Amino acid sequence: MNQPDVDVVVVGGGPAGSCAAIVAARAGLSVVLLERGPFPGSKNMYGGVVYPRILDELIPNWWEEAPIQRWVTRRSTMMLTDTQALTVDFRSEAWGKPPYNGATAFRPDWDHWLAGYAEAAGAQVLTDTTVVGLIRDAKGAVAGVRTDRPDGDLTARVVIACDGVNSFLAKEAGLYEHTDAKHFTLGVKETLSLPKEVIDERFAVRDRHGVDIEILGGTGKVNGGGFLYTGLDTLSVGVVLKLPKLAAQQQRPEQLVAGLKAHPAIAPLVQGAELKEYSAHLIPEAGLTMMPKMTTSGMLVAGDAAALCLAAGIWLEGVNFAMASGMYAGEAAVEAVQAGDVSENGLRGYQRRLSDTFVLKDHRKLRRAPELVLSDRVQHLYPGMIANVAERVFHVDNPHPKPGVRRILAQERKKAGVRRRDLLRDGWTGFRSFG
Amino acid sequence: MTIVACLKWVSHPGEPHDERFSGMSPADQSALEFALRQAEQTGTGVTAITVGPSGADKVLRDALACGATRAIRIEAPTTAAGTDVATAIADHIAEAQWVWCGDYSLDRGAGSVPAFIAAHLLAEQALGVIAAELHDGSVHATRRLDGGRRELLEVHAPAVVSVEGATARLRRAGLHSLRTAAGATIEVIAATTPIHQAEFMVRAYRPRARELPAPAGEGPLDRLRVLTDATTSSAARGEKTTLEPAEAAERIIRALRDWGYLTP
Amino acid sequence: MSDGTISFQERMATAEFRVHHDAHIVVDGKVCADCSTRECVVACPASLFVPTSDGGIVFNYEQCFECGTCYIVCNREGAISWHYPEGGHGVVFRRT
Ligand SMILES: Cc1cc2nc3c(=O)[nH]c(=O)nc-3n(C[C@H](O)[C@H](O)[C@H](O)COP(=O)(O)OP(=O)(O)OC[C@H]3O[C@@H](n4cnc5c(N)ncnc54)[C@H](O)[C@@H]3O)c2cc1C
Ligand code: SF4
Ligand code: SF4
Repeated sequence: MNQPDVDVVVVGGGPAGSCAAIVAARAGLSVVLLERGPFPGSKNMYGGVVYPRILDELIPNWWEEAPIQRWVTRRSTMMLTDTQALTVDFRSEAWGKPPYNGATAFRPDWDHWLAGYAEAAGAQVLTDTTVVGLIRDAKGAVAGVRTDRPDGDLTARVVIACDGVNSFLAKEAGLYEHTDAKHFTLGVKETLSLPKEVIDERFAVRDRHGVDIEILGGTGKVNGGGFLYTGLDTLSVGVVLKLPKLAAQQQRPEQLVAGLKAHPAIAPLVQGAELKEYSAHLIPEAGLTMMPKMTTSGMLVAGDAAALCLAAGIWLEGVNFAMASGMYAGEAAVEAVQAGDVSENGLRGYQRRLSDTFVLKDHRKLRRAPELVLSDRVQHLYPGMIANVAERVFHVDNPHPKPGVRRILAQERKKAGVRRRDLLRDGWTGFRSFG
Repeated sequence: MTIVACLKWVSHPGEPHDERFSGMSPADQSALEFALRQAEQTGTGVTAITVGPSGADKVLRDALACGATRAIRIEAPTTAAGTDVATAIADHIAEAQWVWCGDYSLDRGAGSVPAFIAAHLLAEQALGVIAAELHDGSVHATRRLDGGRRELLEVHAPAVVSVEGATARLRRAGLHSLRTAAGATIEVIAATTPIHQAEFMVRAYRPRARELPAPAGEGPLDRLRVLTDATTSSAARGEKTTLEPAEAAERIIRALRDWGYLTP
Repeated sequence: MSDGTISFQERMATAEFRVHHDAHIVVDGKVCADCSTRECVVACPASLFVPTSDGGIVFNYEQCFECGTCYIVCNREGAISWHYPEGGHGVVFRRT
């Protein structure tokens, strides 16, 4: 075989791609990272919270440099009906100190910053370059990529596809059996501006401390959820929508965001904030159900391209899964190149690493969670039922004595039309997933 | 024959200090494209030159990736004054035959650099060009004049041509030349003349107030008519004379002074 | 400006699009003509699919987020041909 142009070509300058490039370049491999946007992060959008602990190894004391907005020290989960809200609120001062837990950050900042480490490690980061296809050798193994530039073919020993949720590369390589609209959710968000002091006061935080609110319900008849995060002087508010039901409900994404913002529990938080930026992006929601084959000869798939995003109601994590899987893909590529075997077998270290770490362990544990969270019962029956229970438990109706909680529960279950069997089963699934 | 493209590193109007949103202005891209085409026609190369801090290497690398053969950066702050920039460039390209510039830079440049360069090089100039045709030994350029009129110029080397954005679409750099350009050397040199900070006065543009005697007329309506009516003889609003160039310049300056556009 | 009242046009103006001269998404109006679900019209977050009075669909590619929703929700073979725009073009996010 002719000498390839480089050892490793990484497609996509998101968190997965940059981590893959950092690892491979630090091991001394020649690496090119191709990004289609004008700079890494320019095409990327998410809710707003990163969990960067996975970077401890790659970038010691990453928190001293990372372009973050606020450290999340308060995490709330809200359950909304049209007029009610039930919130579980947790606060930890420890999360506001090194090594921290989560942070709000903007992706054009975060991804650009992370790609800087890839460049510093010796990887060549080429932007404004869209990969349009794979190059294969005579035996059909992946041997490089084709870009949309003149003279645009780049051959490599290993291609690491970190090209995000639409991953045309994984599809072209035949690694996805099939994809279906029900495996994806659409996220739309508004970045709103509000003075820092106002945010501090409304969300009861100080300094660089911030809040992460995950919202169940609040998207009307469309199945989905919402989120609200605090930036330094911005708020990120948005909804995540299950695709198949969207059209049937005739409600447009921006209308659903408006609906969420108008909810009595949310409106006072976002009042008077001005729209700075409107954005949208897909999420691979179905976890294990949709995951492709991760490896083929000459190629690895990481991050959203491999559907490794964890989207399960109270959790919406993808950046950490992307960084970790990118890292492991980088390590596996190094192993394979050094051993001179980049066949599917030579690259098997990747799958092993994914299986042995949180990347696939979390997914396995939560395998039923996405479906449960987006099911009609959880979406449309339980929130009302639970909120009604809470309302009746907390409602003081003197001179009547307080009713027993168990009786309220039974009554509300019947009123909501929930069958006892379904409730028990969902409860069991939920307990096994989240418990 | 030396063909030069003068390129300025500019930031996006909305993101003044953000390198992610910086690069070559559309006008500079057109200038570079013309330079490259001319070099292809004449079998020579293009020298890309910029005056600025190290961040400005970005535009030079882009130029190299597109086919420029040499890249020079004259060290200076981003806010260098236009006249100094022109002097610094002219000093380094004394033997240039064709100098291509973008018409104005995004960051409120006045478009004066090309004119100053031409003055330094004693070169012909075609500035603010909206179309250019490359011919053997000359460039046919079209300029926009007031009132929808066009001026057609034929310039010969040595010449400075400054073009507006979108006059030529810059070619897309090839993948492998992009890779090579990323590692190519850029000649960084100190300016031979001092470079000063440009002095910007940032304020809203407000025309100087002028005293206008109330026009003659019976009622307010008549007076308004006198003020606004286009049918009033133009003699009242301007003058027509034939003068020698030097005298004419003198006369214009006096008029500008009288009208309050120049400080006395 | 109270954010609830801004027009959709103003909303889209908050994002930057570096428009390329060639469309990266092409919609075949003939296929759409007898589509009854019109998923794209409701789902496209940029509202780029607009039904016409004669039962067709007009599509504009300029202000596209490149999210992929349209080709995923559309279940008619051949209605949408979808590519990423040429490198360096299309949407550019800032605070997302
Ligand atoms: C609405 C929403 C909310 C979310 N909220 C959170 C959250 O709060 N916390 C969290 O951790 N995760 C969240 N996620 C998930 C997270 O954004 C993703 O899991 C993560 O971005 C995946 O990283 P990646 O590197 O795999 O892919 P991406 O970040 O999508 O990066 C892919 C990169 O590849 C480039 N690319 C694609 N195709 C090509 C090509 N052909 N040629 C060249 N370059 C290409 C793209 O431009 C992009 O830079 C959210 C996602 C969404 C949509
Ligand atoms: S693009 Fe698809 S969903 Fe939209 S109208 Fe055409 S056929 Fe129907
Ligand atoms: S990719 Fe997204 S934004 Fe673009 S047209 Fe399709 S649905 Fe609309």
